[in-house]
Amino acid sequence: MTIEAPGTTAYLESLVDVATGELDRRIFSDEEIFDLEMKHIFGRAWLFLCHETQIPKKGDFFEAPMGKDNVLVVRQRDRSIKALLNTCTHRGNAVCRAEEGNVRNFMCTYHGWTFGLDGELVGVPGMSDFYRDELDRSKHPLRKVAQLDTYKGFVFATMDPQAPPLQEFLGRTGRIAIDLLAERGDIEARPGVQKFTLNCNWKFTADNAFDYYHPQITHISAQAVGMIPSADVNDTGGAKTDEGKALGVQRLPTDLDTLVALGEYGHAISGPSLDSMLRTLPPEMHELVTWRRNPGPLAALGPVGSRFAGHPHLFPTAWFTMDAQISLRVPRSAGVTEVWWFSFKDRNESPEEQKAQLGRQIHSFGPAGFLEQEDGENWSQSTAQTRGGASRDIPQLLKMGLGRGKIIHEDGVARIEAPVNEHAQLWTYLSWLQWVKGTDWDELRSATTPGDYI
Amino acid sequence: MATAHLETTLAPEKIAAMYLQYEVEQFYTHEAALLDHQRFEEWVDLFTDDTTYFMPIRRTVPRRNLSREFTQPGEMAFFDDDKATLVGRVQKLGTGTAWAEDPPSRTRHLVTNVRIVEDLGTQLTVETCFHLYRTRLKSEIDEWIGRREDVLRRTEEGFRIARRDIYLDQTVLLSQNLSNFF
Repeated sequence: MTIEAPGTTAYLESLVDVATGELDRRIFSDEEIFDLEMKHIFGRAWLFLCHETQIPKKGDFFEAPMGKDNVLVVRQRDRSIKALLNTCTHRGNAVCRAEEGNVRNFMCTYHGWTFGLDGELVGVPGMSDFYRDELDRSKHPLRKVAQLDTYKGFVFATMDPQAPPLQEFLGRTGRIAIDLLAERGDIEARPGVQKFTLNCNWKFTADNAFDYYHPQITHISAQAVGMIPSADVNDTGGAKTDEGKALGVQRLPTDLDTLVALGEYGHAISGPSLDSMLRTLPPEMHELVTWRRNPGPLAALGPVGSRFAGHPHLFPTAWFTMDAQISLRVPRSAGVTEVWWFSFKDRNESPEEQKAQLGRQIHSFGPAGFLEQEDGENWSQSTAQTRGGASRDIPQLLKMGLGRGKIIHEDGVARIEAPVNEHAQLWTYLSWLQWVKGTDWDELRSATTPGDYI
Repeated sequence: MATAHLETTLAPEKIAAMYLQYEVEQFYTHEAALLDHQRFEEWVDLFTDDTTYFMPIRRTVPRRNLSREFTQPGEMAFFDDDKATLVGRVQKLGTGTAWAEDPPSRTRHLVTNVRIVEDLGTQLTVETCFHLYRTRLKSEIDEWIGRREDVLRRTEEGFRIARRDIYLDQTVLLSQNLSNFF
């Protein structure tokens, strides 16, 4: 095995082996890799900031992370939205220290420089007496993100002026990901973003969105109390508890009939097909997924897009759940990630259904969720073990279904139909490698365009 | 002698108030002991069948937006449980496969500043402060300090919790889960 010099393209390419489905565990704990991710991924990609309905009135703001930058997403007087870097152009202090709220302007509490909702510098204490009117206020507004755009109410921004337009970045797969939430109806963000802190690398949270191999074990206790359905089939493959007992592993009933979509720039969808989900859900819950066959949603999603009932994930960090939530994973360092849960409702649904959905949203995910308590444990312990000198030399395996993923191109979607697999995870890391190498946009798009097999 | 002195100088209603304070504090001490000894089935029995167990999300907001600090019932929350959900959480812990609590965390519930803020006879409203200290695995430490507002209903079995609202003194949670009870 050749050891390449850290940071070089050859070194980075040695970290992800798509042919064997093996990753180098260093990518989960090396600070140098994290710095490259901050620069080449979070400094360039279109990142989800918030939903328009979180900031309905002029002066409403929501602070969102973009890499290590903090931006204020602000509703303007003309109803448009701007995203401003939360740092005073004088000496750098944050001009706002709240997570959300409503303001008439932003005043830095260091020296009083005051910025309008649009970021223009409108007030400088001592302008005449101290600055002798020699300061050109027009040259020192709050800095804006390079590009901001919305897709069906979801606000995105990028720090890269060269980035392709949002719709092109999303591509068909990314748009389907959002449509699977946006087309439900008249979507509104519920007040309250759950935020909590995990001691894990962000990529464990990202690839887990596609992982339908883990629920039967990780979430076995939630399954046991009826939180998620189970099938009457057992394929334990010899898995046993510490005491040597068979676990009684019950896979999800959908596990032999799943659909994967692979998209440009690393977006993907993975999980049950709509048909298998309908066979699993009790009839009273079919409306959770059948709305997508209504004319409006069907037109947006298309014949292929409407068949996904799994987990869409926008590269790098936005997972859309089946029940109108977005889990945004916010990398704070190589070993610390915050999870932010945005939750939505359809204004057209009955109060009873809105309430029932709120209950499902609160009880499934988040730090007290029946499911996510166990997820956090896996991710933090997996991260910790990548730090050992010997442990980190063991490859990370994404071999399930390797080489068997026949990609079908139809209606602009590259899909795979197969039992549970690790294709979307591998796609994530294949794309991740292209991003961290600093590949230019044209090449990045071409290198992350799905072929015929994975 | 001290008791005799109290009886001669304190009005009966003051003695009744002291006794009520004592009963309520005993109830909370008992409840905390059940949690810290992992006797969750007994703990959940302390809640009425129509109980609500609610922990809103807290947000850092400008002082003049303080009315928006906590989310309200009907909005997102960390906990918004009825009795069946609370029982489900206890059952989940009892499966032996709730990995976030196996190995189990070690907790200490310190309940203090007990204030009976309303006494309607059949039920009381009680505010308490708590410090929940938890260690997990080899070296994880979590601490949550906050305020609870309970409705305690008088029953033949003693007090039962008919509502619990939990207000944490954190906005971004600094812990990786809330796999414990408050």
